[in-house]
Amino acid sequence: MRTGKAVVVITVLLIGALVVSCGPQTATPTQAPPTVAPTKAPPTAAPTQAPPAPEYIEFGASIPLTGKYGALGAMVKPGYEIAVADINAQGGVYVAEYGKKIPIRLTIYDDESDPTKAVSKLESLYAEQKVVVYLGGAASDMHAATAAVAEKNKVPYLGIAFALYSIHQQGYRYLFSPFPKSPAQARDVFEILNASIPKGERPTKVAIFQETTDWGIELGNLWKENAPKYGYEVVVYETYAPRAEDMSAMILKAKEAGAETLLTVPSPPDGITMVKQMAELGWTPKFTLMIRAPENVAWGETMGKNGDYVTIFPGWHYAVNFPGVDELNAKYQAQFGRPADLLTGPAYACVQIAAAGIEKAGTLDRDAIRDAIAAIQMMTVVGPVNFNTDGTGNVLNPLVQWQNGKQELVWPPEHATAPLAYPAVPFDQR
Amino acid sequence: MTAKKGISLALLVAGVAALWLVPSMGVSDSLLNLLILMFIYTMLASSWNILGGYTGQVNLGHAAFFGLGTLVARILYTGGRPLFLALLAACVVPVAFSMLIGIPAFRLRLRGDYFTIGTLALSQILYITIGNVLPKITYLPIADIQNYQLGPRYHIILASALFTIGVAYALVKSRLGLGMVAVRENEDAAESLGINAFAHKLLALAVSAFLGGLTGGAYAYYQTSYYFNYTFSPPWSLEPVTMTFIGGVGTIHGPVIGAVFFVLLKEWLVMKVGEYHLIIFGVLFLLVVLFLPGGLVEAWERIRRVFTHRPAGKIVLSPSAEGSDLSGNSLASERKEVPMI
Amino acid sequence: MPTTVAQSLVSGILVGALYGLAAVGLSLVFGVTKILNVAHGELLMLGGYASFWLFTLLGVDPFGGIPLSMFALVLIGLIMYQLFFSRLIKLPTEDKIRNSLLIGFGLGLILQNIALRLWTADNRGITTAYAGATFTVLGVRLPYVRVASLVIAFVFLLALQLFLRRTYIGKAIRATAQDWEAATLMGINVHGIYRLSFVLGAALAGAAGTLVAVGYSVEPVMGMHWTLKSLIVLVMGGIGSIAGTLVGGLILGVTESAAAIWISNYRHVIGLAIFILVLLIRPQGLFGAKEG
Repeated sequence: MRTGKAVVVITVLLIGALVVSCGPQTATPTQAPPTVAPTKAPPTAAPTQAPPAPEYIEFGASIPLTGKYGALGAMVKPGYEIAVADINAQGGVYVAEYGKKIPIRLTIYDDESDPTKAVSKLESLYAEQKVVVYLGGAASDMHAATAAVAEKNKVPYLGIAFALYSIHQQGYRYLFSPFPKSPAQARDVFEILNASIPKGERPTKVAIFQETTDWGIELGNLWKENAPKYGYEVVVYETYAPRAEDMSAMILKAKEAGAETLLTVPSPPDGITMVKQMAELGWTPKFTLMIRAPENVAWGETMGKNGDYVTIFPGWHYAVNFPGVDELNAKYQAQFGRPADLLTGPAYACVQIAAAGIEKAGTLDRDAIRDAIAAIQMMTVVGPVNFNTDGTGNVLNPLVQWQNGKQELVWPPEHATAPLAYPAVPFDQR
Repeated sequence: MTAKKGISLALLVAGVAALWLVPSMGVSDSLLNLLILMFIYTMLASSWNILGGYTGQVNLGHAAFFGLGTLVARILYTGGRPLFLALLAACVVPVAFSMLIGIPAFRLRLRGDYFTIGTLALSQILYITIGNVLPKITYLPIADIQNYQLGPRYHIILASALFTIGVAYALVKSRLGLGMVAVRENEDAAESLGINAFAHKLLALAVSAFLGGLTGGAYAYYQTSYYFNYTFSPPWSLEPVTMTFIGGVGTIHGPVIGAVFFVLLKEWLVMKVGEYHLIIFGVLFLLVVLFLPGGLVEAWERIRRVFTHRPAGKIVLSPSAEGSDLSGNSLASERKEVPMI
Repeated sequence: MPTTVAQSLVSGILVGALYGLAAVGLSLVFGVTKILNVAHGELLMLGGYASFWLFTLLGVDPFGGIPLSMFALVLIGLIMYQLFFSRLIKLPTEDKIRNSLLIGFGLGLILQNIALRLWTADNRGITTAYAGATFTVLGVRLPYVRVASLVIAFVFLLALQLFLRRTYIGKAIRATAQDWEAATLMGINVHGIYRLSFVLGAALAGAAGTLVAVGYSVEPVMGMHWTLKSLIVLVMGGIGSIAGTLVGGLILGVTESAAAIWISNYRHVIGLAIFILVLLIRPQGLFGAKEG
């Protein structure tokens, strides 16, 4: 009787596993999960010579659409989808091996901001869709987990929306990220300040509010190291754990020390609390670089005037002057009623790079595509891109500033939509 | 009956053997991954069930045991220690930690709901502290990743899952297991019969922590990279409770069925309904809690009863009734209204 | 330095009053019905979003809009209670607590994801024209918005206390909390009292949610955080004790702020550690009466 139950258990286990795993395998290729980009196949090309071409080039992505990184995933997903639609509208990617253009089919799964689920999704994309390219989700811990799967399965992986540099120091060969990393962010902020503000007016007293996460620590240390080289002095270096309701102690220390620059990378809720309390405690740094929290367009609405003057290194901005950006903005506008979001451009570029890599490789062999991407030199919506041996991309690192409730591009000057507003007007005089 | 039992046993052995041989059947890694997830969740739910289901102490901080297991195993394993040692340490450390909670809590006869909230708070303390002390992503060594083989991992995790179920089975069938159920049903009555409630609760906690730690060890060996504090996060506390209830609380097979169902349902929903999958999952979960208090096990029993036309009275539906006259009787009379933990 | 300490402690008091208001709804519901609603944080979230919508769509001032967001939560609470929690009220206490936990999880998951669909995962908040304005007392800056939150929290807690002590319904609620069987015998409609308590708890969560949206921000996944804070305050203050809840909230807020001056990374841990000590040493809460 009891063993009978155990048998039931085992049977359920086996049958269940077989059902789920067999289902997608036997599914017809036209059946796609609901989140798949609506990529219409072009009018069927006339049958040609050479080896029989696959119907699609399979791309796969696992993106956090729910859970704590949902806000990031929401900006990344349309970038991938629009890019794939654009390439397919041209007939797809030309693959020399088959002598014809083949459309891309992109399968997207939600991973609930959970690295375990993301890994399982990527494995399933590899086994069932037989993807030749992985597109990443968002946030460093998700990428760290999924890039390892790419490494294991030897699938080229393009990921954005993370600046954590240490992921690239693991020896991963298949990970490519056309996105500015911490070392660039830690260097550029001082270079931009020195280039745009005359000596004597520079905000040389720096406060760093460091979140106790690996990215926060990485960037905090780099800022601290770089500051003296550019003539800046770190007068306050405070650490805090994520999700703090009360940051007054930290802010008061910075105020007492007369800090003029704030450098920090808070999560969205912490960034909001930080600025609200800075306003209440009457500390207005002349210059604020706050990466991450103010990236979202909702910042302006949420913070009102207090959200102004804050600057970000978002990795991209819709006003950059590169080919294809206007078209992307137009499509995004039609869908969402605003120009493309900050992470949408880099996501779009990932697909451009992957497609160029395939075209250059002339085959759908994953290793050949990887080698082609590693050697690529190309123009994308994020500007010219090439990759270092660690997979980090050499890309433009624009500085964006909130001005009058809008994200204005303030650096580099040749792309800028507005000059850097400096110094910040005190909160109570706005 | 003995013949039937023999057949059942043979089927069980065949089933386990079949599971064991899955990797050599040339199946895809995605199937192996799915099975590994099922094994890990089975272990998670089964280990929670020993304390929560059989002894009635609802622990909302199981992530503490799981997380400590992953932490210890991961540090030892990536530090070059043998896997066996890493897994053993992953089991032992959570037990030591559990004693720190259990001895004061059970000694003071802390009310059940306070125990529940207290464990939730403790796991949060660990979650935040680990996040502060080790705010890093842990990676398997790159050589491991480039030569990552699912086969051996599959076998070790399957073996751990079988071990977990085996330990749970042996414990529940022993005198100690009966004592645990008695404590759950009525602590004072059990004590008057000479059962040491304190010792029984503590034992259940220790075994639950041991197996929860083993689950963590298996996860640390399997997962390529994650934040050190991720395995202490609230979902690892809430999901074992969810799965055990879906399957059938206080039974051996309930958590197994619950875990399998949980993994498959989520996998299926995420493919079918995309971003709405968690809403639908939540609704299904509520339906189970409200209308199937005994979980899927009870549903199965009801269906079987319809087909075999057995009189209802003979079948003990209550999730806890298995193997215990004491609880079987006490529960049968009030089973309509008591979805027990 | 002394002003820094004073300022931090004041900030702690301002946060603490909000903790108290967030917890009091949970405490009331748990004290009267023995339903432990772990979706309480999600109710707070809905309250925050309600006032966010009122502010951005209709231009309603968040403080003036508190009755409206409370009303919205009354409706939501009523639906939640009638559909789910009302099925538990006949269970023995321990089972009721456990099952309400499970239902709370399920509801939390559903509400989170509905919020995600309705408002996206972005953090939202309300910044009024007078946000950031302050007045200074003895060198300590007091933001109008947070002081208003403090006052509102006090007013609500006082009103609740008076309601429970002075009105017939309030007395019926207390009677039910003490002994529902005796209350039934006295002719009190216990089911009605349960429903009322639950709805009242939801409404209080709505008010607290509004204050969170003004002082901080709201997002779909915030629920767990606030449920946990409320649970800590609830146990510290003693279940069902209004004054205790307020004091518990203030203690938590001040301790966290004080901790933040020296060991800011562990501010949440300090609160939790105090909580566990209270649990072990004085399980009835700092101000709860010893249970018979």
